[in-house]
Amino acid sequence: MPTTSATETSVVGETELYLELYRSMVLIRGFEELIQSLFLRGEVYGTTHLYCGQEAVAVGMASVLEERDRLAATYRGHGHALALGVDPQGILDEMLGRATGVNGGRAGSMNINAPANRLIGSFGIVGGTIGAATGVALALKRVGGVAVCQFGDGAINQGYFYECLNFCQVMQLPVVFLCENNGYGEYTPFADVTAGEIRARAEVMEVPAETVDGMSVVAVRAAARRAVEHARTGKGPYFLEAITYRYVGHSRSDPGAYRPPGELDAWKARDPIPRLRGELVEAGIESKALDTIDSEVTSLLADAERVGLAAPFPEPAATSEFKA
Amino acid sequence: MTTTTIDFRTAIREALDEELAADDRVVFFGEDVAVAGGVFAVTQGLYEKYGRERVFDTPISELALAGAAFGAAISGLRPVVEIMFGDFLTLAMDSLVNQSTKYWYLTGEQVSVPLVVRSVVGAGGRFGAIHSQMPASWFMGVPGLKIVSPATPNDAKGLLRSAIQDENPVLFFEHKRLYGVSGDVENEPVPIGVARVARAGADVTIVSAMNGVHQALEAAETLTGDGIEAEVIDLRTLRPLDIPTVLTSVAKTNNLVIVEEGPLTGGWAGEVLARVTEEGLGDLDDAWRIATPDSPVPYSPPLEDAHLPGADRIATEVVHRLR
Amino acid sequence: MPKLSDSMSEAVIVAWLKRPGDKFARGEPLVEVETDKATVVYEAESDGVLAEILVAEGNAAALGAPIARLGGEGGDDAELVDPTPVTAVAPAVETEGPAASARLDPGRSPRPRATPVARRTAAQFDLSLQGLVGTGPGGRIRKLDVLRAEATNGAPAASAPKGPTTIVPLSTTGATIARRMVQSRSQIPSFDVSVEVDMTAVLELRIGVDELVEIVPSVNDFVVKAVALTLREFPSFNSSFVDGQVERHGRVNVGIAVATEDSLLVPAVIDADRKMLAVIAAETRSLVARAQDRALSPDELTTATFTVSNLGMFGVRSFNAVINPPQVAILAVGSARRSPIESDSGGVVFRDIATLTLTSDHRAVYGADAARFLGHLRSLLEHPLTLSL
Repeated sequence: MPTTSATETSVVGETELYLELYRSMVLIRGFEELIQSLFLRGEVYGTTHLYCGQEAVAVGMASVLEERDRLAATYRGHGHALALGVDPQGILDEMLGRATGVNGGRAGSMNINAPANRLIGSFGIVGGTIGAATGVALALKRVGGVAVCQFGDGAINQGYFYECLNFCQVMQLPVVFLCENNGYGEYTPFADVTAGEIRARAEVMEVPAETVDGMSVVAVRAAARRAVEHARTGKGPYFLEAITYRYVGHSRSDPGAYRPPGELDAWKARDPIPRLRGELVEAGIESKALDTIDSEVTSLLADAERVGLAAPFPEPAATSEFKA
Repeated sequence: MTTTTIDFRTAIREALDEELAADDRVVFFGEDVAVAGGVFAVTQGLYEKYGRERVFDTPISELALAGAAFGAAISGLRPVVEIMFGDFLTLAMDSLVNQSTKYWYLTGEQVSVPLVVRSVVGAGGRFGAIHSQMPASWFMGVPGLKIVSPATPNDAKGLLRSAIQDENPVLFFEHKRLYGVSGDVENEPVPIGVARVARAGADVTIVSAMNGVHQALEAAETLTGDGIEAEVIDLRTLRPLDIPTVLTSVAKTNNLVIVEEGPLTGGWAGEVLARVTEEGLGDLDDAWRIATPDSPVPYSPPLEDAHLPGADRIATEVVHRLR
Repeated sequence: MPKLSDSMSEAVIVAWLKRPGDKFARGEPLVEVETDKATVVYEAESDGVLAEILVAEGNAAALGAPIARLGGEGGDDAELVDPTPVTAVAPAVETEGPAASARLDPGRSPRPRATPVARRTAAQFDLSLQGLVGTGPGGRIRKLDVLRAEATNGAPAASAPKGPTTIVPLSTTGATIARRMVQSRSQIPSFDVSVEVDMTAVLELRIGVDELVEIVPSVNDFVVKAVALTLREFPSFNSSFVDGQVERHGRVNVGIAVATEDSLLVPAVIDADRKMLAVIAAETRSLVARAQDRALSPDELTTATFTVSNLGMFGVRSFNAVINPPQVAILAVGSARRSPIESDSGGVVFRDIATLTLTSDHRAVYGADAARFLGHLRSLLEHPLTLSL
């Protein structure tokens, strides 16, 4: 069962920042729903993994990262890409397979990368983010930077997790292990395939571990701050387990029928976006201001959809296998 | 620069030493490489000289090592990681193949991955099936990866320095039977992707790499007695292959034999044969491969010796085919 | 029909969860659809009204096909999905059958298996690979085999059973002769009659006259004169058989077969029956020389009414010649051999005996005619005084 961390701040005193975070979450939610719609129309190819419901984790974590920090995302990485500030049009076009995509149509949803925006990449192999972040941290140690690897509850059973957690702790590397526990590894409830507690794995290696309510951006941000601070000051890795939930299936081909009835509704009641709205209103922000943000995002995404669908496809061209 | 005479392992160490000294971004890590100086005593002294920030030991975690090398390489460092035996590359393969070799392409040729994986390979040391393999053929089909395979101390040093200076992922193979081999080292740069004519001849072209080159040269001496002059080509790099050098030779000799220490099926010798056939068909009178059987490397000395393509077998087959 | 699975190309409507006329809000379940992977509930993407169901429960629809018509909030009609059909599945690739032309005609001999360098070398030496034995793996011909064949070109090598082949094309004359020989042998019902002639008298006549005359007539010149006189007596042999008729010729032109470098010519001694032996001798000598030089006129080559062919100078005992159409006969002359015969007094004497063979066209002349012709010819030759009158 989730245990919330000891200290939890509120939005009070940081309402300007949290308005930005609200906008960020609304953008992610709207973007993912747009992707869903485009996928149903056959405009997004292959498969895609949507982040609806988990917005608070990406946004909360990104809010504490500096320019010198980096983040590695999983194939469910649109939320993190947007939270880090990657241009939504670039991500959308990439998923539409257009030449104007952030990776020219080469990468697609599962391999999106934007090194200029601190996004190392998205890694389709479960656990790959952890390997990448380990190496990045080795380099960032020299400049006081921190590498964050985001992964799901399924990844903690992968070889990468154990090897890299141990490696980072032994080498005292500045890595934040951010586990988004949404209860399911693909179609299987995590408890069915995982022995013991997730965070216990970190604790056994004497890595500080915390479980946080992933549906609260305020709580996530506070925990992220602690984690990054620990890593940045040369104390080695920090493990964060964010309890969250995805509102759609694992991927678009998964209708999520394995969920017990009522589970989805219970989690929808804890939707992080209305929750933050409530907290902001309580702290004195006008509802109208939030509505304005909502409609700005809606209109931004409508434009992005129009522009994206009109964008050209890339011409097949020879690539250079190596850098000279 | 001056020419020195050193052995293969010293050449490797010198190359590492010189690159660590020349570029602050170079780091070297692996299992037992620092304090112990490497299980083949190749990297002794480097830890003492450069300290644990630059040269360090790691847990037995090949996948983490590969991930560490990848992440570090895309973040400004130039990592050299040792995977103790080439046979263990299987454990490192996900990061190497699915991350390192694809990043240049996926970033739209914005960020390259300047890492080197050094690994000890090859049979003849009675180490048995899983410490004697030649994994080059597992990686020939991975775009974005360079594979280097020196046969001499001179090329070991020159090519390792080139590999560390290369902007791309390089798999650097060191044949365990060559560590004690001495030779002149010119201390000049040796380019990746360029083969060397180790011996000139007019009757048959023998192409090989690493230990196979020495076997081929020995066979060539025997063949002279049979009235056959063999031209021996040391590929030095397996990926990308220097086919033009082989074609020039085959245009002269018309006969091509490729000697590979590794299973016949799916080996890099097949790639050489395919390319020469495609591009130089008109010059071919005979072409074949000599490789190991499609079975694991055995332990007992007579079994292992029979398994490998030695000088005797090469000479016998050439005489048989050419007569 | 929305894309509810990566791999579906069509799906079945399981149940409509709204009835025509029902309003619905965004996110409300609209229809239950069975895809190739699972049964999925499709939720409305925006508020609206279900105007009309186009595909009933239990029926299938292809990906992208309209399954219902909606009304928007403002009453606008909209398709449930974008009506432009989307192909989720790649179109079926047509596989081509094996090319029939690739099948080799079993009657053709297979292309010799040779290495590229072997072919190149063979081409350089203008050597055919056919029949070369290859010593390479699988019996393929390699450079070494070609070089060996080239070195032993002409000699009966172990390689080719009939040795290397050299093409010798026929000259125009040769081709003509070939044609006429076929015509002769196939169309003329010929028969051969031989006689042995005692040439001793002729030979004795020729002894010791070298210093006394300009040209000494050859044995063949005597034969030519004798034949000419015989033809006068037997005009049926001085004829041509043309269009089913025998054409007797008024003049006797005896043709002599002359072998040149690459062909056989038959110039004629015209009016041989009226010419003295000396004249015949001079003419035959001239004709032979001009035949070798290819300096004969067309007249001289086409006026023979009868042909004499002599292989006696080669020691040939006898042979049967081929009639030169349209002539009806030809005389083959063998060499005179010193032979023992019974003398009148019962002893054995040696005489110079030559075999003469007359080949005749049985449509124009018969066996008895030929026998009589030869009998007369023999008499003349055995009494050569008759040839100098």
